Amino acid sequence: MEDLNIKIKEIFRNFSNDPGNLIPILQKVQKELGYISLPAIEEISCFLKLTESEIYGVASFYSQFRFNPRGRHSITVCLGTACHVRGGSILMEAFERDLEIKTGECTLDKRFDLDGVACLGCCALAPVVKIDNDIYGNMSVIKLKETLEPYE
Amino acid sequence: MKVTIDNQEIYVKEGITILDAAQEHNIYIPHLCSHLELSPYGGCRLCIIEVEGMKGYPTACTTKVEDKMVIRTHTKTLQQMRREILQLILSEHPSACLICDEQEECSSFQQTIRKVGATTGCRWCPKDGDCELQKVVDYLEIDKITFPVYYRQLPIENHEPFYDRDYNLCIYCARCVRICEEHRKSSVISLRQRGRFSTIGPAFNMSHIDAGCEFCGACVSVCPTGALSEKGRKWGGIPDSYNASICPLCDLNCDIQVLMKKGKVIGTLPPGDPHQSGGELCVKGRFCLTHIINSPDRLKEPEYLFDEGIGIVSWDEAVKQAGKMLKDVNGKRVAVYLSPNLTLEEILAAKLFFKDIINTSNITSSILNSNLISYISLSEESISLKEIEKSDCIISVFLNGNYNYAPLTLSIKQKAEKGTPYFQIGWIKDTTSRYAYQQIIPFPGREKTFFNKIAQSIENADNSSPEIKELVKKIKISSNPIFILGPDIMGLTEADGILKIIKKIITLTGSKIFLTNPYSNLIGLLSLIDTKSNEEINELISQKKIDLLYIIGDNPFQKRPPVNSIICQSPFPAPDYLNADLALPSAMWGEISGSFADIKGNIKKFKAVTNPPGKAIQNNEIFDRINKEIGKKDIKFTYKGISKLIPKKLEMRFPFVKRKPLKAKISPPNTSFPLLLIQEKNPHIFYNISLSNNIRDMREIVTEDAIIMNPTDALKMEIQNGDSIFVKSDIYEKIYPIIVRKIIPQNFLLLITSSRTFDFNPNPCPVHIRRNNV
Ligand code: SF4
Ligand code: SF4
Ligand code: SF4
Ligand code: FES
Ligand code: FES
Repeated sequence: MEDLNIKIKEIFRNFSNDPGNLIPILQKVQKELGYISLPAIEEISCFLKLTESEIYGVASFYSQFRFNPRGRHSITVCLGTACHVRGGSILMEAFERDLEIKTGECTLDKRFDLDGVACLGCCALAPVVKIDNDIYGNMSVIKLKETLEPYE
Repeated sequence: MKVTIDNQEIYVKEGITILDAAQEHNIYIPHLCSHLELSPYGGCRLCIIEVEGMKGYPTACTTKVEDKMVIRTHTKTLQQMRREILQLILSEHPSACLICDEQEECSSFQQTIRKVGATTGCRWCPKDGDCELQKVVDYLEIDKITFPVYYRQLPIENHEPFYDRDYNLCIYCARCVRICEEHRKSSVISLRQRGRFSTIGPAFNMSHIDAGCEFCGACVSVCPTGALSEKGRKWGGIPDSYNASICPLCDLNCDIQVLMKKGKVIGTLPPGDPHQSGGELCVKGRFCLTHIINSPDRLKEPEYLFDEGIGIVSWDEAVKQAGKMLKDVNGKRVAVYLSPNLTLEEILAAKLFFKDIINTSNITSSILNSNLISYISLSEESISLKEIEKSDCIISVFLNGNYNYAPLTLSIKQKAEKGTPYFQIGWIKDTTSRYAYQQIIPFPGREKTFFNKIAQSIENADNSSPEIKELVKKIKISSNPIFILGPDIMGLTEADGILKIIKKIITLTGSKIFLTNPYSNLIGLLSLIDTKSNEEINELISQKKIDLLYIIGDNPFQKRPPVNSIICQSPFPAPDYLNADLALPSAMWGEISGSFADIKGNIKKFKAVTNPPGKAIQNNEIFDRINKEIGKKDIKFTYKGISKLIPKKLEMRFPFVKRKPLKAKISPPNTSFPLLLIQEKNPHIFYNISLSNNIRDMREIVTEDAIIMNPTDALKMEIQNGDSIFVKSDIYEKIYPIIVRKIIPQNFLLLITSSRTFDFNPNPCPVHIRRNNV
């Protein structure tokens, strides 16, 4: 908590409190702290005199911002057209069910975070899942467990 | 300028939108997101039109008229496109009923199937019959939906006070978001995420309470669908009539309209079009009034305290008993308590009755203590609400604008947004705080010194804190500074001293003052009757110089005082501990016609819209009947007779107060008592009841007898919402439940009470806390 305060105050030093600075501040916060937390939004709210809701409304409009910490490993499920046709969203649901989290969230043990993406650029392998930097093509729900196993 | 709409030549003002121009000339263009009080949005795209010389289909609500424009609003293509657009909207809206063949039969026969938790069609929707979406569907004659339909499966949000939210019905017109931001300046909710994942609400999964919602109901009023609905009126249906009135819950006496159905009050709204007016009411005028007038706790029949206990009696019997009690007693030994919510007509009747017939001058009100009198005496310098507009520097002092004085907080926010420096002096974070140029928290436990420092700093440059210097600098360069005082000052032990310094500051700087006051007709009370202070009457009671207490709508005691008999006359029952000998049910706002006076002595009238419940009758009629019983003088107490006697110009007269020197030792927090406890008398009082006590939803936002604590403090001490804690000062301790909320800063605690006196002395009081179980 204290730590966050110090880091955020440090970030604010480079900006005036003009609400127009919201996006650059959010970008900087994400870069320094990894994600945008509620306490961070509260600090920004005091600084720019915008409500938390206004800030969250803007931030959540852009897919570049995340609101949950990263896990040790990041799972990205492709929801692009090709993957969608071949069951991408079913994969996503399976991940959500298995890991007991929702898209954008991180598991309690901080092992995995889960996100969707529009296209990973290898549609021939659809449906595609990316874990950290490894690409898994032709994924299916049955392969889920064994795919995750090596990632601790 | 001249434009042509659908071959009709019309003349319109420059700069208005095509939609407005059309509406002015009764040409209907379907629209859902545009709204009178809001800037153009162009979200729903139903208002598309064709303009000669313009490409595509511009939206009428965002396009301004230009000279000689030729506009078509109802071509075949347009209507067809509108149908498609509307079908797209409907594909995500529970629309079964909208396109059902059996609609008409269903509406007339299945009236009782509506009270369900989730709305799956119009017949199950609180907005049925009053919905803008229904109207547009009707107009465009939609009878099928060609797109795949989709139910969002969002959870229904019904766990917060006063209104429910079912975003499965939402059409994302963003009226609610915009009215909250543009009009109410609160920005509690926003559109989150994008596209199909869009939802509306505060940041993350914050509650509306934590996000600073004022529960003003503006979003509910303007929502075109059933997505937002007032809990109290959810199944009330369409009102029979709308009646103009004023709100009796603080001295701003806002204009309102009362919604009636079958002779009952079913809701209250700000004036204007019920669907278009965001209004300037606070939660009390918007939501609480309906609850109060329909409260199941109303006193409905006269009650008499027999030897065997309390029993219901007839009015004849009650009047006989009252007459007996009053005939037997020496007028000098009668004391009278009047509520500051009584109308001018009732106060004047009370004056005639008690001064001329009973012959007593012991008239007071539970609130008329020395601090209130110091406070209200400042009103000589007071300005009206409208004059705040002219100010160029605003300073609020101990103003707690949460759930209160909405027109005032709104004008502060509007002014500050336009660049007027606004300083907030005090502890509490309210709806204006975000707009403050600076919020200044006085040195804890040294509040008087703090104001002295300001005064000194004005007189000569000095070494006061940078905050004070900045404040003084800004006041000095302003030509029209205004101090806005909150009633919380009156609860401070050093109130009298602080008010004197404030008066000095005002004189030194030529500032104006605005006094907020939670009592609808305190000014009327002080203008019509020569009152005595509460302290003086209390002394008489303790010296056994009073035999009979006559209490009208007031609640001055916490236990039965040593008198022979007590008569209570109120819309609400007297508290049990009082053991009142006689309780007489009276009518209240809504059931009587009457008038209130504002701080400038202006009189505002309102009319009765309904009848009192049970056997309750008007105060004036009660006086009339008792007077006939005692038969001393021939005075007519009826509303008509009395209202003629009210002076045109009202001027306040203040009761005399003897001031005792301060005994309490005021000290700042220290290592053994590190937190500063602030006690606040609940300002949400009406007659002898507290709104928090009487209305469950109000209790959730203004909780009495609980300690409010800052989240950071709570985290440090590992205390959670709902925990029970020991609060200890050097002489007193008590257990309270905890509420964690951001409205109070770190190292402070806030305690709202309904009792007349505070448990902890002095106020504010240094305390320490520990968890109850450790
Ligand atoms: S009730 Fe008022 S303050 Fe609360 S969200 Fe609606 S408009 Fe905003
Ligand atoms: S809740 Fe109502 S006002 Fe708000 S966006 Fe939805 S439909 Fe519009
Ligand atoms: S500000 Fe006062 S008068 Fe206006 S609605 Fe609220 S309580 Fe009623
Ligand atoms: S759609 Fe999945 S990789 Fe392109
Ligand atoms: S009313 Fe014009 S776009 Fe909605």
